[in-house]
Amino acid sequence: MAADFHFASLPAQRVPRLVVSPRRLLADVLSKGWVESLIPFVALICAVCGILLATDGYFAPSNLRNLAQYAPDGGLIVIALLVVVAVGGIDLSVGSNFAMSAFVALFCFHILQLPVAAVLALTILAGALVGTVNGAIAGLLGCGALLTTLGTMITVRGLYTLASQAQLVEISSSARMDDTWDWIGFEKVLTLPVGFWVLLVVAALAFVMFRQTRFGWHLLAVGGNRKAARHGGIRVRQTIFLSYLLAGSLVGLAGFLFAARQNSIGSDTGIGMEFFALTALVVGLGGFVPGRGAVVSVLIGFTTIYVLNNAMVNAGFRGDFVQLSMGAIIILILAVDVKFRKNRHRLLASTYLDPVAFETDAVKGMQGLMPDETAPKLRDATILAVGQVDGPEDVLLDKDGNIYCGSRDGYLFRIAAPGHEKAEVLAKLGGRPLGLAFDRQNRIVVCVAGMGLMRVSLDGAVELLTDQAERSLFSVQDDTTIRMADDLDIAPDGTIFFTDASKRYDIENWGLDLLEGRPNGRLLSFDPATGQTRTVCDNLRFPNGVCLTHDGKYLLVASTWECSILVFDLARLREGPRVLTSGLPGYPDNINRASDGGYWVALAGMRNPVFDAAMKNPQLRRRMTKRVPPTNWLFGNLNIGGVLKIDGSGTIIDALWDTPDGPLYMITSMREHEGALYLGGVTNNKIGRLELTGADPGWCGPTSYWGAQG
Amino acid sequence: MMNLVGRTKNPPAMTLEGVLGPNSRLDEAEGLAIDGPDAVAVHPDGRLLVSSGKQVVVLPSWGAASERFAMLDAAVTALCVSRSGQVAVGLEGGRLAMFDSSGQPLNGWELPAGQAVSVVDCAFRSDDELLLVDCGYPVAREVLARAAWDAEPRGKLLSLRRSGEVEVIHGKLHAPMGLSLDQAGRPQVSLLERAAIVDERGAAIRSGLPGYLGRLRQTQQGYLLACLARRDPLIEFLKTERGFVATMKDTVDVAHWIAPRVSPEFSHDFPIELGATRLFGEVKPWAPSFSYGLLIEMDAQLVPVGSLQSRANGRRHAISDVAIWDEAIVAVSKGSGELLKLARGCSVS
Repeated sequence: MAADFHFASLPAQRVPRLVVSPRRLLADVLSKGWVESLIPFVALICAVCGILLATDGYFAPSNLRNLAQYAPDGGLIVIALLVVVAVGGIDLSVGSNFAMSAFVALFCFHILQLPVAAVLALTILAGALVGTVNGAIAGLLGCGALLTTLGTMITVRGLYTLASQAQLVEISSSARMDDTWDWIGFEKVLTLPVGFWVLLVVAALAFVMFRQTRFGWHLLAVGGNRKAARHGGIRVRQTIFLSYLLAGSLVGLAGFLFAARQNSIGSDTGIGMEFFALTALVVGLGGFVPGRGAVVSVLIGFTTIYVLNNAMVNAGFRGDFVQLSMGAIIILILAVDVKFRKNRHRLLASTYLDPVAFETDAVKGMQGLMPDETAPKLRDATILAVGQVDGPEDVLLDKDGNIYCGSRDGYLFRIAAPGHEKAEVLAKLGGRPLGLAFDRQNRIVVCVAGMGLMRVSLDGAVELLTDQAERSLFSVQDDTTIRMADDLDIAPDGTIFFTDASKRYDIENWGLDLLEGRPNGRLLSFDPATGQTRTVCDNLRFPNGVCLTHDGKYLLVASTWECSILVFDLARLREGPRVLTSGLPGYPDNINRASDGGYWVALAGMRNPVFDAAMKNPQLRRRMTKRVPPTNWLFGNLNIGGVLKIDGSGTIIDALWDTPDGPLYMITSMREHEGALYLGGVTNNKIGRLELTGADPGWCGPTSYWGAQG
Repeated sequence: MMNLVGRTKNPPAMTLEGVLGPNSRLDEAEGLAIDGPDAVAVHPDGRLLVSSGKQVVVLPSWGAASERFAMLDAAVTALCVSRSGQVAVGLEGGRLAMFDSSGQPLNGWELPAGQAVSVVDCAFRSDDELLLVDCGYPVAREVLARAAWDAEPRGKLLSLRRSGEVEVIHGKLHAPMGLSLDQAGRPQVSLLERAAIVDERGAAIRSGLPGYLGRLRQTQQGYLLACLARRDPLIEFLKTERGFVATMKDTVDVAHWIAPRVSPEFSHDFPIELGATRLFGEVKPWAPSFSYGLLIEMDAQLVPVGSLQSRANGRRHAISDVAIWDEAIVAVSKGSGELLKLARGCSVS
C-alpha cells in the first residue's frame, strides 16, 4: 500500500544541529566529576600567578627542573597517603618510613655493596614491611589506624635513629660509585629528572588503578561504606591490609629516590613529612574524604603547597612566617573548597533545568471531534486484565491474539487469547519496558527505559541488543548511554528504528523534559546484522512513537511536546524529517498501523490554552520549578487522553475518547487486531478492547509487517 | 511578594497538618441532594432555609421533603435570618429581597441600585440593621477565578437600615465572602483570596489560613469557617507572575483559567498539576487539586481547632456555607450539590 503523501511537498521540520545554551553548559560542566578539583586547581593558578608577580625568574626552566628534582619525595608520599585515606585509613608513619627506607637504600648500596636493582627491591621491601605492620594491626586486627600508625611512626623513627647513628660514618665515608645509581639520582630524561618521571608513572598507575582495576574499586568501596562493601562480598580487612602494604611500598620507593639523589641521611630526614603530605592531600581533596581516589586532585594540592612553600623559603622569609602564611592560605583554600562542594549540587540542581520558549501549532483538523463535541466511543470498550498489569505503556498482539505488555516493575507479560483473563510473566527485563514490536523471527524487540534495546524470544530468553549510541559531537555531557528508549519499529531489512526520548532526563523525570521544552531526544537505528547503533536524527523534541508506513518506505515519529507527527524517508534519512501533521489536540505517544491503510495515534494527554501559554514563557517555568513543589507544577492534562485515527495522508478522520472520568484516560498505545482495538496506558492497570466497525476482521499487525508466513 | 531588593519570596507553606490534618469526614457525612445550593440559615422556629438556584426552600427536619419558601427572579447569593424571623435574601446583580417568616415579601429594606455589585453574605445586627458583604464581582460563578488574579479591592461591607439608609463601613475589601458578628456584635469578614479574617476596619484578625475562604459562622464554642477550596502553591506562585496571568486573562476563556474550582470534574480544557495525574484511573487522595472540601472549626479567638475535609479524590468540595441545626453541623457542598449533615464535635479530637 503506497503512502498517501508526497514526502518532498511536506513542510520540513527544523532540527537544530546543536543546542546552544550557557545555562546548559554550566550545568553540564558542574555535573562532571573533574569539577571536584576546580578549587584546588584555581588555588594552584592563583599561587602560580602570585609567584609570577612577586618573583623574578622563579618559573625559569632551570628552577622548574630543580623543583622537579625534589618533587618525587613528597609526591609519592602524597599518593601513598591517598591510597590509605581512600580506604578509610590514615598513615602517620610515612615520614619515619621514608627515612628508614632511605637508610635501607644507603645501607644496601654503600655497606652491603648490592647491585642497584637489589637495592631498589630491598628498599621497597623495607617500606612494605612497615606497611605490613600497619596493615596487619590496623587492617587485619581492626585496631584504629591513627593509633597504629602513630605507634609505628615512633617505633620506626627510633629504629631509624639507632641504625643511622650506627652506620652514618660508614655510609658517609663510602667511596662506591655506580652509573645506574647516579643516573637515577641526577640524570635527566627529556629534560626532566628521572625521579620526576617515576612520580608521573606512579601517578598514572594509581589513576588507572582507581579507575579501572578491581582492587582500586574495592579500595574506594571500602572507604565509601565499609559495611556495604562487606555485604557486597568485598574482603574488607584484606583490602585495608593491602592498601597499607601498597602505601608502604610507595614510601619505600620515595626513600630510594631520595637516597639515590642525596647519598646521605640526617637526623631530620622525613621529619614533618607526614604533616606536609597530609596538608597537600587535604588541600587536594577538600578534606579527609574516604572513598575517593582523586590522584589528579591530590597532585594539584601537592603542587600548590610545594610551590608556595618553596617560593616563600626561596624568597628568604623566616620559617615561622612561612608557616603562618602557609596555614592561612591553606585555611582559605579549604574554606572556599568546602563551600563550593557543599553548594555544587544545589547549583547544579538549579541550573540543570533549562527551559526554552516554543510554540506549538494551534489545534487543527478536529472540528466536531473534540471530547466535548463527540460521543465517548471508548465508553463501549471492554476492560481486560484489571489489576494484573501495572502500566502497560505499549500493547502488542501476536497472530494468535495473545497480548504482550511491559510493566512498571520491569516485567514483560503475556495475556493469553482468547479470554485475555490472566497475565503471566514472559520475561524479567529490569528497567521500564515501553515500546514493543515483533521482528521477522517472531521475537519481541522491546524498548526499555534505563536499559536500552532488548529482544525477548517467546520462550522468555532475554538479550540486550544495545544500550549505547554515538556521542553527540558538541555535547559536554556524555550522552552515549541510551536513557529513555521509548518506541520502535522494524524495517523490512531488519533495521530497528527506535527513539531515545530524552538524553537528559530519566524515565522518572520525564515531566521535566516537557517543562524544559528543548529538543533533547533522538531517533536511533540498530542493525542486528552488524550490531551497530547509529543516530538517525539528533535533537528532536521528545520523539516518542515510531511506525513504519504500510509501504515500508517511510517512518512516522511522534514529536510529543510539539503535538505533531514527523515523517522520515528511509531512503533519504540524511534529509531529515518533515511534518506529516501538526496541531494535534494532545500529546501523541505511540503510532500504529490501521487495517484500512491509515494509522492510530495514541494521545497520552491533552493540551490546553493555559499550558500552551506557559510553554511560550520559559522564565515562568524555570521560576516555577524553583519555587513550587514538583507535585504542584503546572502541567499538560494527563488525566484525559484518547486515540486519533489518521488516514494515510495524515488527516485526522476520527477520535476516540472515554468519558471524562472513565477508566481509559491516559492512552499511550493501541493496536488493531482482527477488528478490535487494544488500548494500553502507562499509568493504568488495565487494557481496553474496543470492537471496531468497518475494520478488516482478518487484519493483524505481524502479518502486515512480515506477511502470512512471517 | 516583592522584598526590598525586588526579589520575589517563595509562597508560604500551606500544608494541612496538625489540627488541620487530612481526613475524609465530609465524604463520610450524610448527604441530601439540593439543586444549586449555596447558602443556609436556621430560622428561629427551627426550620432550615436553603438557597437552591433562584429559590429558597425550607426543611422542617433532616430528611423531610423540602418546601418552597420563596421564588426569586435571580440566583440567590446570600441568606440570613433575624432573631425575629425576618429573612434577607441576596440576589445576583447586587439586589436584596426581604421576607417574613411565612415567605411573604416585607416592605422597607430598599437597597439602592448601584450600592452593591453582588451581595454574597449578610447578617442582622438588629431587627433594624442589616450588614451586607458585597464581593465586588457581578457573576457569582466566576468569583473564584477572577478574585485570584485581581489585586483590586472591589468588595464592601455595608450597613442597611430598614429605612433604606446605607452606610459603607469599609469600601475596599478584597473579595469578602463571609460575615459573622462576634460576641460584642462587631462584624468579622472572611476574605476569599487573601485567606484572612478582618474586622470592620479591614485589619486582619487571623491570616495565613490554608483555604480560599467562604462564609464564617459563629457557634457556641467558636466559629465554623467554610472554605471554597484549599490554597494552592501553584496559584499562589502565579500571583507573582503578572505577565503570564495577564496573557492568560487576555487570551483564555475564564472557564479555563488556572484558579480554585468548585467541582473536581475532569475536562480536557483544564490544566492540571503534575502530582494530580491519575494512577490506575484513580485520583490519589493526597494529589494536588484546584477544588477541595474544607470546613475549619475555630475557637472564639479564631484559632483553628479542627477540620472536616473532602480530599482530592472526594467530591464534596467547595463548602460555601455552614450552620448549626438541630444539634448537628449542616454544610453546603457546591461541588457535589448537597447539604451535608455532620455530628457536632466530630471533627474536634
